[in-house]
Amino acid sequence: MMRQPPIAASIAALILVAASAGTPRAIAQTQAAPAPAAQPVVDTHWQKTVPVIASGAWNGPRLADGQPDVTGHWSNTIANHSNFTDPQAGPPGEPSAASKLPRNQRAPSRVSDPADGEIPYLPAARKLQEDFAKNFGTPTHAWHIEPLARCAPGGVPKSFMWHGYEIRQYPGVVLLLFDSGTRIIHLDDSPHLAQSIKLWNGDSRGHWEGNTLVVDVKNNNGKALFGRMGDFMSENGTVVERFVFDQDGKRYNYVATFTDPTVYSRSWTATIPARKYTEADTPDGWHYDAMVANLPGKPLLHEKMERICVENNGPSDGGIFDLPPNGPVISR
Amino acid sequence: MYIRSLSLAASAFFAVASLGVHAQSPTADIPRLASGKPDFSGIWQTLSEADYDLEPHAGRRDVPPGPGVVEGGTIPYLPEALAQKQRNFAAREKDDPRLRCYILGVPRSVYYPAPFQIFQRDRDLTLVHQFGHQVRTIHTNGTLHPAEKDQIFWLGDSRGHWEGDTLVVDLNDFNDTTWLDRAGNFHSQDLHVVEKWRFVDRDTISYSATLDDPKTFSKPWTINILLNRRRDKNFQLIEDYCFTLRYEKFYPNKEGK
Repeated sequence: MMRQPPIAASIAALILVAASAGTPRAIAQTQAAPAPAAQPVVDTHWQKTVPVIASGAWNGPRLADGQPDVTGHWSNTIANHSNFTDPQAGPPGEPSAASKLPRNQRAPSRVSDPADGEIPYLPAARKLQEDFAKNFGTPTHAWHIEPLARCAPGGVPKSFMWHGYEIRQYPGVVLLLFDSGTRIIHLDDSPHLAQSIKLWNGDSRGHWEGNTLVVDVKNNNGKALFGRMGDFMSENGTVVERFVFDQDGKRYNYVATFTDPTVYSRSWTATIPARKYTEADTPDGWHYDAMVANLPGKPLLHEKMERICVENNGPSDGGIFDLPPNGPVISR
Repeated sequence: MYIRSLSLAASAFFAVASLGVHAQSPTADIPRLASGKPDFSGIWQTLSEADYDLEPHAGRRDVPPGPGVVEGGTIPYLPEALAQKQRNFAAREKDDPRLRCYILGVPRSVYYPAPFQIFQRDRDLTLVHQFGHQVRTIHTNGTLHPAEKDQIFWLGDSRGHWEGDTLVVDLNDFNDTTWLDRAGNFHSQDLHVVEKWRFVDRDTISYSATLDDPKTFSKPWTINILLNRRRDKNFQLIEDYCFTLRYEKFYPNKEGK
């Protein structure tokens, strides 16, 4: 409880504010209102460019089972999940200071194909996305609340745009540990689960091609939005992810191709850059929410404490928006 | 003659099996890491009735019967704590944190009747539980409990070391929100747990947990269960973030215009 992820803490605080103020409107306001600054104050924390990392052979260290060793803590480098296609422009209704700059002075769209940087929605799907974005700041229905704000798993691909996360590797497995949700990527030829089973994080089968982990994600439930603009796929969506690791082991690009004929007019590809965090970095409670391990007399070692999201363990939004206050959820 | 031979063979078998269970010397034919330590990697689940009620109990409307897993039979509650346990029992069908899909804590997450997967490296074991969003790291790299005292974790803080082929895990820094079973057995924030994990054979783990909590119990007490490897063909964990069931119907949004 004490080490809630920052978003959980902020939401919990906002719930208290909302409860005391008697207004349900603050729930999804996970961003502070823009400061009335005369000059744009641009957050220089984020990078504006996406490195080019080519797929190819892996010349770096390997684990005993032959996998490239990419174990460690990772986080995205250009922005959080506020805005998928204009990552540094801020969430809907809350334009960032950087949004006032010319477009080419902000990080590019995460949509790397097609070239216009837009998700190629079918018209009805575009309306649903726009409806979410329009209502994000002033929600009036349950579906206007981003599910991650209720501590649902971030899903694919949003988990890679939120807090830092950890990759642990084992023979035949790559394990992804997020603050909200866990993915077990099976590196074998076993079949996917029955397609009638739909999951927040889908069902993953992967293999290594040189420096690239290729993962086939099926069984998606289509419930985890891509972020605060309401971008989405449906339960018919499938994803092929390519984690392309740089030879120096310090960076990788997450390159994911989305296919869903019920939502998109064509397949499209997202690119999300990430960097590694190590003991050389200072834990910041977001990208690298680590603590100094208690190991007297030994070199500095960081470790991550338990990953929980507080709303897993309490009312998700104080009973607002049609949710029962906090009663039993299951009867098994 | 035939019967006698069979009987002799059976005696020999049980003698060997008994040796295997109790021997403290390295157990043959168990999975090991390259380092030689026992390798608990795999998907495990108890067949026991521990989660229904740790103590011996007849069948009830809400749970099947069970012989109990507490050494000595009953949990040594202090008088006030016993009264609280009885209140919990009376309200169990609405107050058990499991019904809200809360994190189950330790040791309950181990004997909750759903599979969990162990991933193991020399430096740690990672336990991913199918139920809810529970991931526990048992550190085996010589690190100690955090120097910062009075931290509160749903799953406690786990530091392990090896005693021969037995993994001994010391846990503290718990919260007081989790229960120990569906019968309302509980603990305070002062809970201290020592787990022992040991192979009986390559597909069975002997698991014990000793619980000490001076605010709740008059003395430490111990449970013993077995964990069985899930060997069903192509068996895998299926995510069960059941706390999302309260709101998942709202997504994907199909009603916006």
